[in-house]
Amino acid sequence: MASQEQLSAIKRAKVLMVGAGGIGCELLKTLALSGFQDIHIDIEHCSSVEAIVELVIDMDTIEVSNLNRQFLFRQSHVGQSKAKVARDAVLRFRPNISITPYHANVKESSFNVDFFKEFDVVLNGLDNLDARRHVNRLCLAADIPLVESGTTGFLGQVTVHLKGKTECYECQPKPVPKTYPVCTITSTPSKFVHCIVWAKDLLFAKLFGDKNQENDLNVRSSDTANSSEHSEDVFECRKDEDIERYGRRIYDHVFGHNIEVALSNEETWKNRNKPRPIYSKDVLPEEQTKENGNEEKGCAADDVSAMVSLSLKNPQDIWSLVENSRVFLEALSLFFLKREKDIGNLTFDKDDQLAVEFVTAAANIRASSFGIPLHSLFEAKGIAGNIVHAVATTNAIIAGLIVIEAIKVLQKDNNNYRMTYCLEHPSRKLLLMPVEPYEPNRSCYVCSETPLLLEVNTQRSKLWDFVEKIIKAKLGMNFPLIMQGASILYEVGEDLEEDMVAIYAANLEKALSELPSPVTSGSVLTVEDLQQEFSCSINIKHREEFDEEKEPDGMLLSGWVEAPVDKDNNKPIGNDESTSNDLPSVETLEGEKDDEIQETSEVVETFAGKKRKLSEVSEVTAPDPSGPSSINQNKPKKLDIDDEDDELIISDDWESLTKKKKL
Amino acid sequence: MSDGIARSRLAEERKAWRKNHPHGFVAKPETRADGSVDLMVWHCVIPGRKGTDWEGGYFPLTLNFSEEYPSKPPKCKFPNGFFHPNVYPSGIVCLSILSERRGWRPSITVKQILVGIQDLLDQPNATDAAQTEGHQLYVSNPNEYRKRVQQQVLQYPQSL
Repeated sequence: MASQEQLSAIKRAKVLMVGAGGIGCELLKTLALSGFQDIHIDIEHCSSVEAIVELVIDMDTIEVSNLNRQFLFRQSHVGQSKAKVARDAVLRFRPNISITPYHANVKESSFNVDFFKEFDVVLNGLDNLDARRHVNRLCLAADIPLVESGTTGFLGQVTVHLKGKTECYECQPKPVPKTYPVCTITSTPSKFVHCIVWAKDLLFAKLFGDKNQENDLNVRSSDTANSSEHSEDVFECRKDEDIERYGRRIYDHVFGHNIEVALSNEETWKNRNKPRPIYSKDVLPEEQTKENGNEEKGCAADDVSAMVSLSLKNPQDIWSLVENSRVFLEALSLFFLKREKDIGNLTFDKDDQLAVEFVTAAANIRASSFGIPLHSLFEAKGIAGNIVHAVATTNAIIAGLIVIEAIKVLQKDNNNYRMTYCLEHPSRKLLLMPVEPYEPNRSCYVCSETPLLLEVNTQRSKLWDFVEKIIKAKLGMNFPLIMQGASILYEVGEDLEEDMVAIYAANLEKALSELPSPVTSGSVLTVEDLQQEFSCSINIKHREEFDEEKEPDGMLLSGWVEAPVDKDNNKPIGNDESTSNDLPSVETLEGEKDDEIQETSEVVETFAGKKRKLSEVSEVTAPDPSGPSSINQNKPKKLDIDDEDDELIISDDWESLTKKKKL
Repeated sequence: MSDGIARSRLAEERKAWRKNHPHGFVAKPETRADGSVDLMVWHCVIPGRKGTDWEGGYFPLTLNFSEEYPSKPPKCKFPNGFFHPNVYPSGIVCLSILSERRGWRPSITVKQILVGIQDLLDQPNATDAAQTEGHQLYVSNPNEYRKRVQQQVLQYPQSL
């Protein structure tokens, strides 16, 4: 099928594949069968940054749950390196090609710009934002084309990134975990997910997590006349309190008392349905629970289950309020009876059966209080653990599209690159939607040199705030080097000399305006990263006041493509960080420890239907004096893709719309 | 952006040095009394090469970069009165790769400069005298020259 030119371009090509998971397996096979002869694979970890250090081997290996879709792997390979097994499997049907596996993290310093420069094209099959950004920045620095991909369930996408020709991976904002305003979670939930967040980040954390952690579970009671000492120890199990009674006391406090307190604030309920307080005695008559205390089933502490002791079998059943209440009390008492040593340092883990049971039950009880439909444990687990089921077919389609784009890149067929979206429901009988790529966003902080603007109270905010909230959290740098003119304000890394470390530690504690070279309104900071090959400038503007609710960081970065915010709740979260990481946003998924369900290990970023929202946000904030903020208005963002709305997807003037931006 | 070229190049040099540098060498931006760190001035230490008379000495060297860097080379300076045929009495090093009109190229890195100066210590250039004392001893009294070098080594032990 391939033409002669295509074949020779393919044969000469040296490609780097990053990631050998769901997409990676399909991609390697398709590359090999398309005639590619020299393939290097770097298998990326599916882990958070901290985990990489310790769990290198663990994270990189094949797990049982991979086998259903990562077809190069068989049961006997479980525990082995993905990159190596994938290579061996493909060499069996294509013995004459060269595949070099790297069982390593792509962020290792040996995979530097020079390494990337050896390749003709880089193909990503990654599962997390951090690694994608890293590869994007390296490809830009090395000026090597990147074909980027992602899937989430039935959705998928392939994009082509060429420095200076098409937009880079970071030209467009990426959805980050949605956040909810604290009060939605603590007082006025309207969706089941709000109840899940409440159960997991507030209640579960309060009862079983670190006691020193701030927790807003009782946030409401503090603004009423309630004595604070009282609510202080309400969650502690009292001396000689029997566990059954303790459970009921907690139950009554959070589902009964707290709701009553909330109801007393009538203002809140003017335009909302009032919740109903629920007390355990109304749901479960005293004697009924007694017979359920099934402690005789001696099982290992790790797999204690309230469902087992209550003989609830099907995780896909939706439990009644009574059943949920029993599960709640049973799970609570099992934590105290069988897993007491864990209490105080638990964080919610979707693979912890008892934790999932507890959170499901608590969320459901709260949902019934607020008239929100109840959900099964299976569904609740999916929401709480951000699980999206991976679809092997999507991965295969996406891998095929990656190869098609890779061939165009190799032939330098610059006018025919496409971003292609794979949709869940056909739109106008099309399941795949190709779109011409956009040119680079001239205000992209990664691939352009337009400075960012930071509004900050330079007298109050410390360098530490700037490093943590902006440099790390927003710009995604790990080893920043911060300079003002020729003065270095901050560096980090194990190689630093002791005297330098001491100076930088002292600087972190200083307000920006008190630094040895003071950062004040009009200052320009240059920020680079030791390992990621990119740097950007940040213009500083002093601002006295910040809205604590809307600008919880106490500083505002603009010119930076801000992530979209949930439409219904566009207020950022107030004061509890844990609540903010909560939604089924795929980006947060890392790690592939799963059971019968798979997490999304591959992600689509562009599908957030709320994309428009985001561009509006950046228009408002884009400050660039040279005017590129207008780009945000004129430039058609990637088409809004919203599978509930066919009309949006392929409109008749779509061609003309994209033509304007044709390369 | 023209004014930023020196600084961005120096930031690159700093990063490159932190990632990898030759053993025994030190090179870091100057820390002033008020705690500010200045990229335009680097304090370095050059170890005398093993197997030469310079072995065991750790010689402090200051690199002063100008706004014209890397079009122009940095000024490289040992302490005043440093004994070496190609070092001026002020301590400034006379070396072809550090001369704007001779061997300097903008692509020369800090690492290359320091290694180049390390080479120069043991392989002085007899045709390029920068100080009379060192030069005369070097060409006319090798024994005395060695003695002076060894004395100087003792003057700059590692603890620096």
